[in-house]
Amino acid sequence: MTPMSTFLLASLLGADAAPLQRGVATEQASIHIEGFLQRLMPQAFIPQGTWWAAGLSMLAACLAVFAFINVFALFAVWLERKVSAHMQCRLGPMEVGWHGVLQTIADGLKLTAKEDIVPRDVDRILYVLGPLVVFAGVFVRFVPLPFGEHLIASDLNIGLFFIAAVGSVEVLGVIMAGWSSNNKWTLFGTIRAATQMVSYEVPIGLAFIAVAVCAGTLSLVSIVEAQKFSVASWFCFRDPFLFVLCLIYAIASLAECKRAPFDLPEAESELVSGFHTEYSGIRFALFFLAEYAAMYLVSAVAVVAFFGGWYTGIPAIDGIGAEGSGGIAMALGLFIKASVLIGKSIGIVFVQMWVRWTLPRVRLDQMMHLCLKVLLPIALVCLVGSAFWRLAFGRTFLFILPPSWFGA
Amino acid sequence: MALGKYFSEIFAVGKSVGIGMGITMKYFLESLLLRKHTSTIQYPRERDVIPARHRGIHFLETEKCVMCWKCSDICPVDCIYIEGVRGADGVLQDGYRGSKATLSKFTVDYTVCIFCGLCEEPCPTQCIHLGPEYDYHATDRTMMEKNLLTDRVYTQEDEKFVRWAREENERLKAEKAKAHAAGKAAGDAKAAGDVKPAATAKTAPAAKTAPAAKTDSAAKAEGEAH
Repeated sequence: MTPMSTFLLASLLGADAAPLQRGVATEQASIHIEGFLQRLMPQAFIPQGTWWAAGLSMLAACLAVFAFINVFALFAVWLERKVSAHMQCRLGPMEVGWHGVLQTIADGLKLTAKEDIVPRDVDRILYVLGPLVVFAGVFVRFVPLPFGEHLIASDLNIGLFFIAAVGSVEVLGVIMAGWSSNNKWTLFGTIRAATQMVSYEVPIGLAFIAVAVCAGTLSLVSIVEAQKFSVASWFCFRDPFLFVLCLIYAIASLAECKRAPFDLPEAESELVSGFHTEYSGIRFALFFLAEYAAMYLVSAVAVVAFFGGWYTGIPAIDGIGAEGSGGIAMALGLFIKASVLIGKSIGIVFVQMWVRWTLPRVRLDQMMHLCLKVLLPIALVCLVGSAFWRLAFGRTFLFILPPSWFGA
Repeated sequence: MALGKYFSEIFAVGKSVGIGMGITMKYFLESLLLRKHTSTIQYPRERDVIPARHRGIHFLETEKCVMCWKCSDICPVDCIYIEGVRGADGVLQDGYRGSKATLSKFTVDYTVCIFCGLCEEPCPTQCIHLGPEYDYHATDRTMMEKNLLTDRVYTQEDEKFVRWAREENERLKAEKAKAHAAGKAAGDAKAAGDVKPAATAKTAPAAKTAPAAKTDSAAKAEGEAH
């Protein structure tokens, strides 16, 4: 395991610390993506060890993740509109398709067909790069994220650390977009975004450390495997400190992906639409896509780190497609586990929407107060408490349950 | 002490967030599952109940019209154009021959009309009304001139509604007068110590039940009219 101090430092520094791990990351990536692809394709198609095979497998993984992000964004935008509508006594989109399910496709097509305006006085290079960097910053974080058992682009041994560290690239893109737009609103949005996203990485990093302490690993697949015994073995329920850290992660992740009540960077009532005020057409669509991809990402990470990943806690369901079973059972098991993981993530995305349409936006000073004076000290206490709990009681939270439920 | 305040503040925030999220979830579930609260109407397919005294596109009972021009005369913006022969015999092309008048044109220019309802007032046979129809659109200025004889805006269902609305108006007027008289009588009777204020309040809910029939019929009529 990476030493805690390095981890904390790296979380604070974000992108600067990422190159330190680059050698490890790329080596792991190539190995695992090839392995992933060989599960999907007959060996004849992909000869091992050639440079183009590695490239091809990376491309395939990228396309799969990109397609997933797009489909999820289409679904999530529709879901958000319906959720907000029903919470406000409206109906939401009703015309295109059944209860408007195809509305987002129509909107997306319209968005891509719109004029791509580049204002005269913008810093052209940064302006063009901004949305790309934002989207890439989110997209890269999907690399160590499992979508189900075996369905992972690359099972990095520093998975959690990678997700926390690369998150800072997104801030960079937001700053590029906001600064280059040459506009006061975007500048304010940028400053707020930078403040907010850098601050809230700290509680998130602390929550991750506690999970790593409990699981003994940073690899997301291994973290999920550590929670396969029962619902009681999910890290969220392992000990009271981890439960609090789970809540802290939920709050901080809202701020991390700039969702209400922490949507200060794009506060409509104050800053038009914040750092992406000047963007239109496909470039705006990229920001939009990145936002919804980030929503899924933080939810899926929460599921993996705290809510048992692709395990339901019901042995009959988790047992389908275990090692040594037939091909159909294995395919069914893969499908069920992917559905469970994605379903749980969508559940957490729903909670994010629920929070968004309930709470008003916080003020900047309230936002900083919440992060630095509430979440950070409590997260530190909980981290220490969680570590001592594990030393004192092993892995058991609910003492009355049999130890086998915790894999002890 | 400060620590106590710190945690009590966190607790207060958590509690208020919980209350708020409970309210939104209650509304979400009730709206989604029970179809409560939702006030949205899927407009072209279902339509709101039009109040009996709504002033929309004119509704002309052509067989009653005596072609006296009074509506056209009183119109403050002069938007009613009438052509025809009073007391004449014979049938005109695209016209209407009533018992007392042969109308060839009864046009209202809706680019001008202000829907004030003054034309209803002087009509000796009470044949012109402002009806329930409100969605009216055109791609051309001349299309807003509507000949009430030939351009069918209203269907039979709408005519029923207009008749109902007229009766309703009369009834409400009569009720109001009655209530007024009753109030006066009560005022007189107060001296004797006999008060009956409940009489006026009782009649109000009964008036509200009738418009429910309009929604179904209007939705059906929509398809026929356009």
